[in-house]
Amino acid sequence: MKPSFRLDQHPRRWPQPLSAPPAGYFEQLPTRVMAQVDALARPWPLAAWLQQAPAYVRTGLASTVLLGTFAASLWLGAGPTPHPTAAASLDGVPREELVDYLASEARLDLTDLAELPAGSLGITTHYLRPSPPELTDALDAQPTDEATLL
Amino acid sequence: MEDHEILAKFQDPASRNLAFNQLVRKYQQKVYWHVRKMVIDHADADDLTQDVFVKVWKHLGDFRQDAQLFTWIYRIATNECLIFLKSKRRKFFLPLNDVGAELAAKLEADPAVAGDEIELKLQKAILRLPDKQRLVFNLRYYDEMPYEQMAEVTGTSVGALKASYHHAVRKIEEYVTAADVQGYSSGDAN
Repeated sequence: MKPSFRLDQHPRRWPQPLSAPPAGYFEQLPTRVMAQVDALARPWPLAAWLQQAPAYVRTGLASTVLLGTFAASLWLGAGPTPHPTAAASLDGVPREELVDYLASEARLDLTDLAELPAGSLGITTHYLRPSPPELTDALDAQPTDEATLL
Repeated sequence: MEDHEILAKFQDPASRNLAFNQLVRKYQQKVYWHVRKMVIDHADADDLTQDVFVKVWKHLGDFRQDAQLFTWIYRIATNECLIFLKSKRRKFFLPLNDVGAELAAKLEADPAVAGDEIELKLQKAILRLPDKQRLVFNLRYYDEMPYEQMAEVTGTSVGALKASYHHAVRKIEEYVTAADVQGYSSGDAN
């Protein structure tokens, strides 16, 4: 029967148990590492400058960037200018033009002008706001050709 | 160049590259072998060694000198090894044993070990240990690192390290004995 294996009795491989790296490896390694380190520093000179800058400069810059971002988000988040409502747009149109348009383009006749079949009187009032004398004048101005009546 | 000289020259941008070059030359072999014993393969060890020194470059300016420079570098190397081995397992979605099998296969291909049956069994037994325990074993058995320094490198207490090393030795001896007996029995059968 074979005796048990004892680690303290086994000759330790010194200095290392595995095969050596390729010849010249350790002569070349520092050069390869320095090349990597140089590549880190080169493309971003600003980053290298930041890395070398004192802590208070970096803190100040970071605070400025943060505040600037906050201010920009507040300014941009103010929201777009609201579009004027249709009612407000119509308010800008002179009343005479509105009546002329309705009479000519919409082919309204006396009956329509006299009794406007609006579902909501409130809307009609808001759009035209006819006073009684104005309405009478409008009616009187219409042709009384019976062909259009009906 | 002494460590304090390297650190002082590194703070000066004019001599930073020279200081770092000296640092790499001073510690490259220790870092390389520490990593190589964990990952076995030379190409992997080469990549990791370079990664370690690049990290040292990036953070040496912040080194507070509350520990020895070498301990600090070793800690970076240790973390890189453990992260590498962990990512290897996750990348291939393999259970633990398969990554161990992969490392064992690289070991069998290593000419320094392949020709020595007992040494190969020993190295395979070491590979079977959990990564952190394997690390402790390597640091103590091959690097003869004092437990107090090992505690700084691993962030583990001295007592826990001693227990871990003791158990590692026992596991290795049991494994090699069993492998030896198996081989002896097979020889008898033949």
